[in-house]
Amino acid sequence: VAQEAITGGFNVTAEVDVETIEASARRARNQAATRMVRYTALKLVALVFTVAVGVYITVIIANMGGHLDTIRRGAIRENVNLMLSQDIQFRMLSPEERASIIAETIAIEEQRLGLDRPFLTRSFEFLGDAMTLNLGFSQLLSSDSGSRLVRNIILERLPSTLVLFGTANLLLFFVALFAGLSLSRRYGSIADKAVLAMAPTSAAPGWFYGLFLILIFAALLRVLPFGGMVGAPPPDNPLDYALSLMRHMILPVAAWLMASIFLTAYNWRTFFLIYSSEDYVEMAKAKGLPDSMIERRYILRPTLPNIITSFALLVITLWTGAIIHETVFNWPGIGQLYYRAIGVFDTPVIVANVVLYAYLLALTVFVLDFIYALVDPRVRVGEGSQNR
Amino acid sequence: MSKRYLTLVAFLLLVAAVLAACGGETVVEVTRVVTETEVVQAEPEVIEVTRVIEGEVETVEVTRVVEVEAASEEELSRMGGWLDTIVILEEPNADAGMARLIAGDIDMYADDVGGSAAATALASPEIQTRVQYGLYDELTFNTTVCADENLLNPFNNRAIREAMNWIIDRDYVANELYNGLAVPKYTTIAEAGADRGRFAAEIRAIENNYGYDFDRAAEVINSEMEAMGATLEGGVWTYNGSPVNLIFLIRIEDTRLEIGNYISNQLEDLGFTVERVERTSGELSPLWISSDPLECLWNVYTGAWSQTAISRSDVDNFEYFYTPRGLNSPTWAAYEVTPEFDDLALRLATNDFTSMEQRAEMTQEALFMAAENANRVWITSRTTLLPFSNDVSVTTDLAAGISGAALWSKTVRFVDRVGGSMTIGLPSVFTEPWNPRGGSNWVFDNMVKRGISDLSFYADPNTGLLVPGKAEGADVVIQEGFPAGATYDWVNLTFEPEIVVPDDAWAAWDAENQVFLTAAEVYTEPQTSVFKSTVYYPSEMFDATWHDGSPISAADFVMRMIMYFDQANEASPYYDEALVPEFNSFIAAFKGVRIASTDPLVIEHWGDDAQLDAENTLYSYYPSYRWGDETPWHTMALMLSGYANQKFAFTDARATEFEVERISTIGGPSLAILAEELEIAAEAGFIPFAPTLGDFITAEEAAERYSNIAEFARRYGHYYAGTGIYIMTGVFPVEGQAVLTHNPAHPDPALRWAGFAAPALAQVEIDGPGRVVIGEEAVFDVFIDNPVTGGPYAMNDIDSVSFLLFDATGAQVAFADAEAVEDGLWQVTLGSDITGELEEGSNRLEIVAVSKLVALPGLGNFEFVTAP
Repeated sequence: VAQEAITGGFNVTAEVDVETIEASARRARNQAATRMVRYTALKLVALVFTVAVGVYITVIIANMGGHLDTIRRGAIRENVNLMLSQDIQFRMLSPEERASIIAETIAIEEQRLGLDRPFLTRSFEFLGDAMTLNLGFSQLLSSDSGSRLVRNIILERLPSTLVLFGTANLLLFFVALFAGLSLSRRYGSIADKAVLAMAPTSAAPGWFYGLFLILIFAALLRVLPFGGMVGAPPPDNPLDYALSLMRHMILPVAAWLMASIFLTAYNWRTFFLIYSSEDYVEMAKAKGLPDSMIERRYILRPTLPNIITSFALLVITLWTGAIIHETVFNWPGIGQLYYRAIGVFDTPVIVANVVLYAYLLALTVFVLDFIYALVDPRVRVGEGSQNR
Repeated sequence: MSKRYLTLVAFLLLVAAVLAACGGETVVEVTRVVTETEVVQAEPEVIEVTRVIEGEVETVEVTRVVEVEAASEEELSRMGGWLDTIVILEEPNADAGMARLIAGDIDMYADDVGGSAAATALASPEIQTRVQYGLYDELTFNTTVCADENLLNPFNNRAIREAMNWIIDRDYVANELYNGLAVPKYTTIAEAGADRGRFAAEIRAIENNYGYDFDRAAEVINSEMEAMGATLEGGVWTYNGSPVNLIFLIRIEDTRLEIGNYISNQLEDLGFTVERVERTSGELSPLWISSDPLECLWNVYTGAWSQTAISRSDVDNFEYFYTPRGLNSPTWAAYEVTPEFDDLALRLATNDFTSMEQRAEMTQEALFMAAENANRVWITSRTTLLPFSNDVSVTTDLAAGISGAALWSKTVRFVDRVGGSMTIGLPSVFTEPWNPRGGSNWVFDNMVKRGISDLSFYADPNTGLLVPGKAEGADVVIQEGFPAGATYDWVNLTFEPEIVVPDDAWAAWDAENQVFLTAAEVYTEPQTSVFKSTVYYPSEMFDATWHDGSPISAADFVMRMIMYFDQANEASPYYDEALVPEFNSFIAAFKGVRIASTDPLVIEHWGDDAQLDAENTLYSYYPSYRWGDETPWHTMALMLSGYANQKFAFTDARATEFEVERISTIGGPSLAILAEELEIAAEAGFIPFAPTLGDFITAEEAAERYSNIAEFARRYGHYYAGTGIYIMTGVFPVEGQAVLTHNPAHPDPALRWAGFAAPALAQVEIDGPGRVVIGEEAVFDVFIDNPVTGGPYAMNDIDSVSFLLFDATGAQVAFADAEAVEDGLWQVTLGSDITGELEEGSNRLEIVAVSKLVALPGLGNFEFVTAP
């Protein structure tokens, strides 16, 4: 039996008996599996190591290399003194009694924040907790409902961020993608030129347009809300609540789209333009295939890995929210939370945000390798770039 | 003002002008029209008062138009709060808050605003504003000699620190840097405080001495720097061959950035090299408050201090701000003061004086000593704005604004109607967990709590004196020799040579056996105290209920008593180390407590922490805890039992130690734990501290209360049941909203607090001769109006009206009291002996009117020329 098989880099072309071929195939499969496992393990180790390094750097930065302890001690001393000095009973005590109470209160707070232990020890504790996703308790921030569990703090804000930026980014992604695809097929048309001309508008961020939108639609025309997530008071009925939510999303989503839609569409259009001029596309055109088929089969398909990568990264980017955008629209999302955490140096919350994002990113990168292999026959997992 | 009144004013002014012209040059006729609004049921009336002073050549005619506005039937019958609902929502940005106010999206922004937001508020016809005091700017100096001999710290020199006063043009700071939203400040006495009026003359004298005078500052500083071994080379001060470098810590969060840069420029003009370190609070506090001043890591810092309530006494500030005992900080530890000033400061801080006159003398001395010592130099007192819509009426506290005003919810309403829904913006809502022992102390959280809670006594938003709420009155007995006084008639103040704590008063708490120990059991000798307060509650109080329907009872008060002690005792199952410092503050002055009667409830307290005002020398034991959480015994029981089982904790410190959540009665994971504890407590008929509370609670009452709170939590989704005029019916933490709904069962009529809706700031106008002959008597009329009534200020409501006279050189020539003539009218007579001392030129007469109704004195001035 003559057979040609391409398995794991071995090229077997010979007249051999079936057993030899089967053995070879088995060996090749085993080698491929081993290579796959080794590749997966190495990739995972590398990713986890990268995450650990990233998280530890975050811990160091969030604590200013340990200088935060000095800041904290100063702030505690100042806050305790000021808080107690507002207390008339306290002010009437003797100087010795006052000093004793202040010292006692400061010691309790320093102990609570772990300032009685060396920073180096605590930095590795932070790292260990983060890597095992033991997010623990925040130091200063509370969730909106009053929880100090970092998990609750984040989970409470996550839905509002996801609903806003999920909507905005999905709209942006798909509208821009298909607009880009369409424009790439209409190179030089009026629509193409219009998008090209409008692309520089993305130099301004979404919140910048948001300010104008608020001014026009909330302050002047008074037809849309200034900000917030729902009306005041929040409707009891879920349907009314959803409608109110949608109404409050109009301006932030519009601002987000205004800031990005033209540039993103332009990017996709340029990207697709390269693929649109491939020989096989020209051939397809010459064969008289319909545009939709050309777009779907001859342009979209070979660019699928890029599209999927872009989409996957977009999805995990939703996680971080957008600090200024949320602030301008007073949207209770992760971005605002992150901003507050940085402002008060709440290391557990900062680290939790980073480690979760890092894990999501690592997971995405990891999974994307396999997805590439599934959607693109040219890609082989674990074979290295020379075989692609 | 309507067209009718404008016409009337114009007509009267015309008549006055004609009469003045006809009457000859010796007759001065002054006509004033005052509109007065009273809440009575009667027709509008016009009252005309004419006064002619015999023997004088001056006639004053006062015409008062009184518009009488009756309360409507609806207003008279309204119980509890004026509004049907209040929606409080989060709006962190003040500028956005103003835009929403203008657009009618919110009705009030309940935080004070400055900068661009204030400018918007002032410019908008849709917004009315009130002024809030209570935030002061100053310079804090490092007063040490640097450990490094090559470094020179000029601020170790007292004279240079004092001269810093003269390089600061406070008017420029207030008018240009703050755009008029600040006033110059020269002393530690608070603008919104009782002492501001008492020491107006001394403060004015200090202002006169320490006003902007750059040349004078340069002269002093040059001389002192040379004496310290520095040399001025090419316009730059050098020391040991290097420029004298001043490290100026400048805060960047507010106008202190501009102030710091302005003063840096002034210092550079004097020849100093200034290193401007512009940072946030967190970044600078390790330097200015914690670093060793000998290291000279900084020289001067742009400090600011806040006042969260109207101050009844500021004389302890001398110790706090100027002596090493003030703050637990190396910066303070390095302060050096003269033994005389140190002694004065200590005595003033510990109320070591026997009369108000002695206190005044001591304070007068201390004020000048503090200015000379100059460990810090005061710059401005900010006058931020409280913005709200024109159709809103609300109580604002002079120092605490709206969010800090105890009575805000009692008075807030739409001016043209009863009921309705009001939307209020706040910078943050539900900032931290709420619980009565270690919960949120954020001012905005406390504002919401005040909306749904009651108190035994409320701080008067204009004077800082307490006024009865749930309580109806009090007796205060103070040891003879302590110079206390009483302003209001609801408190009965008496003095006794000795106040003995009775044997049966509770004097301590046995946490193990959960019983109070009497004075006889605790002490071997009879104990005396500085004061005894007796607070009387009306018997109708027990007819009222908590928001869950449970009647208020004596047990709620006894629980409050127990909570003063129990959690600071290690033998208690509810012990919390973080609550020990609070207990230590309390116990240091506590001598005993006794329930004299349970119905009506009468509570006696013996203690040593008496204050100058009898109104504020009270312990009510009302079940409102440290940060204003009004809490019935049964919800406290649920928290205690969950805490004892380490399911959650009251304080942050304990929560961290147990690795559990901090208790929140309004949201988060605590709600599930509270529900769990409620089930257990209801089943077991749990009565906390049963050996004591068992005498006040029956098993049936306990069962009923647990059932009530369960229903309340089911209906509203939280466990904060207060007794206030509004019930919190909606908690939306993520959306940042709270919904308060009118409590129709509240026993107070809505009109009860109407008198506190606006501050009766005395408005002073002076009229008199523009030209005075030296050596001849001159008489000036001082008109004082009450803006709340729109009429003249009643004599009974004025504490004092005094005048200061400054001659053409700016020197103070006279200080004395004005003479009361009638309501709204005082007179200043400058005798020939006084005018004889004046030189030719322009003189200034300044009036200080101190009201009993408001802590802020009314000020006015009048310029006149003197000629031979």
